[in-house]
Amino acid sequence: MTRAAWPLTIGFVLVAMALGLSVGATSLPLGSVWQALGDASAPGAAIVRELRLPRVLLAFSVGGALGVSGAALQALIRNPLADPYLLGLSGGAGLGAVSAMALALPLVWGVPAAAFVGALGAVALVYRLSVVAGRRLDPRVLLLAGVIVGAFAGAIMTTIITLSTAEQLRNAFLWLLGGFSAASWESVWIFVGYALLPLGVLLAQARPLDLLTIGDEPAQTLGVDVERLKRIVLLCTSLLTAAGVAVCGIIGFVGLVVPHALRGLVGPLHRRLLPAVFLAGGGFLVLADAAARTVVRPVELPVGVVTALIGVPLFALLLRRSLR
Amino acid sequence: MVRLSGPATRVASLIPATTEWLFALGAGPAVVGRTAWCDYPAEAADVTDLGNGITPNIEAILAVQPDLVLLYHSAGNRTAASRLRDLGVPVLLLRTDRLEDLDRQLTLLGRALGRVAAADSLRAAVAAGLERARAAPAANPPSLFILAWDQPPMTLGRGSFLTEIVELAGARNLFADVASSSATISIEAVVARDPDFVLLTSRDSVPAFAARPEWRVVPAVRDRRFVRVHGSEFNRPGPRTPAAVATLRRALAEAMR
Repeated sequence: MTRAAWPLTIGFVLVAMALGLSVGATSLPLGSVWQALGDASAPGAAIVRELRLPRVLLAFSVGGALGVSGAALQALIRNPLADPYLLGLSGGAGLGAVSAMALALPLVWGVPAAAFVGALGAVALVYRLSVVAGRRLDPRVLLLAGVIVGAFAGAIMTTIITLSTAEQLRNAFLWLLGGFSAASWESVWIFVGYALLPLGVLLAQARPLDLLTIGDEPAQTLGVDVERLKRIVLLCTSLLTAAGVAVCGIIGFVGLVVPHALRGLVGPLHRRLLPAVFLAGGGFLVLADAAARTVVRPVELPVGVVTALIGVPLFALLLRRSLR
Repeated sequence: MVRLSGPATRVASLIPATTEWLFALGAGPAVVGRTAWCDYPAEAADVTDLGNGITPNIEAILAVQPDLVLLYHSAGNRTAASRLRDLGVPVLLLRTDRLEDLDRQLTLLGRALGRVAAADSLRAAVAAGLERARAAPAANPPSLFILAWDQPPMTLGRGSFLTEIVELAGARNLFADVASSSATISIEAVVARDPDFVLLTSRDSVPAFAARPEWRVVPAVRDRRFVRVHGSEFNRPGPRTPAAVATLRRALAEAMR
């Protein structure tokens, strides 16, 4: 572990937050942002307090949750390619959310609950497929099953959207691209309400996750209930993915790139990796969102496009360096 | 280049705007197919529905035995058009996005249906109607934020037909600098530009978004400065365009009172 790892990570988060609060349709100097945070009658206070602050906090917590989910799934599968997207969780959650929109369920509980059911359904299917294949939770089979289930969920989603004429569903397609343009305090509370518990549970599994990386059997001999741990991780990551999809659509690459980058900085031990990934994942998504709303303003880019545009080259670079 | 042996007598009209024009030209009986969106005039409901018109169903089109097919000018439709032409069915690809497309549309339709005189008088009538309905250009027109969707916040830009209606009605589109026809924007961008009114196109009497705290940051939303219009005449240029301009002008005058 590099000694500068924590100051670096925390500094990154602070810079990202400051930037996220000061740029937008109108750029505000940091001084006025600070003033607006403390004083509701300051000029620009409504913009900072009602629009930017919830948006930055939502992006931060969603990014953190996606990062932690990615890191936990990678430990579980023992494969750096694992993330909620590739394992079919995002697809399942998206299908659930679109179905809830088709049935006009309320945004506060209906969409998150349906997204969770969808994510769990996808995980259950992935799990069943890998059992049928005869290798219980074999990393490669799981990834393969995840990709297939994700594609299947995507096909059903497209079918629902194609068949419906309702305005809400045509826009569901856009919403699924991911974005924080509709962020509000309500969406922050929805997300925090659903994400706090699974996030805490995952952070508490740091030690067993360390042991799991040396293999199922060694971990079992060292006292880890491997099957139970795997179920806990899948359940918690499903909840986190579902909560994220419900408030801001499908956002890829955060769970893939951030843990990969952070392992080089803080090392592979999950006691340090998981909190660091939470912070850096949050900061990363705040920055990506700041870019999404300023690059072609007043038009907003889907934030998933930005995470992919930054994430893919970064991942390629890291991959090259780690192979060297 | 399209060659017809004579005036078309069986037309599959896969654009809602051309369906309106054909009926207005008195060629309603010649329309043998339409899209699911063709909701005007009421008689159009009796014509065979050939689907949503976005990806034309060639088999359904051939089944009504048209001697002319009207398709919207899009990349997907060009492929469908060349297939139909290979099968010996004449196709007209038309742009129907903006007011400026109107002249060419009417000229082509008049020629294809052997109703050149009717097309000429209709064009003159629509032009005169527009002249009567439109507002005199103002030095400082009120700004309208066109709310196309609230989650994510979406508006219509310069490329949209509604922008033209807004301008003819004597107002300006708050996001006229956005070139595309529709775009996702942030609530913050709306706050920064501070529109005079919000133009609502939904049928709901009480817009749910207006109660949400993040939307109430927009002064025009907080003060309920809403202008409401709805109906398909606001999203396609056609014989009802002068009426659409007049309706919006009335709604705007009422809101400004």
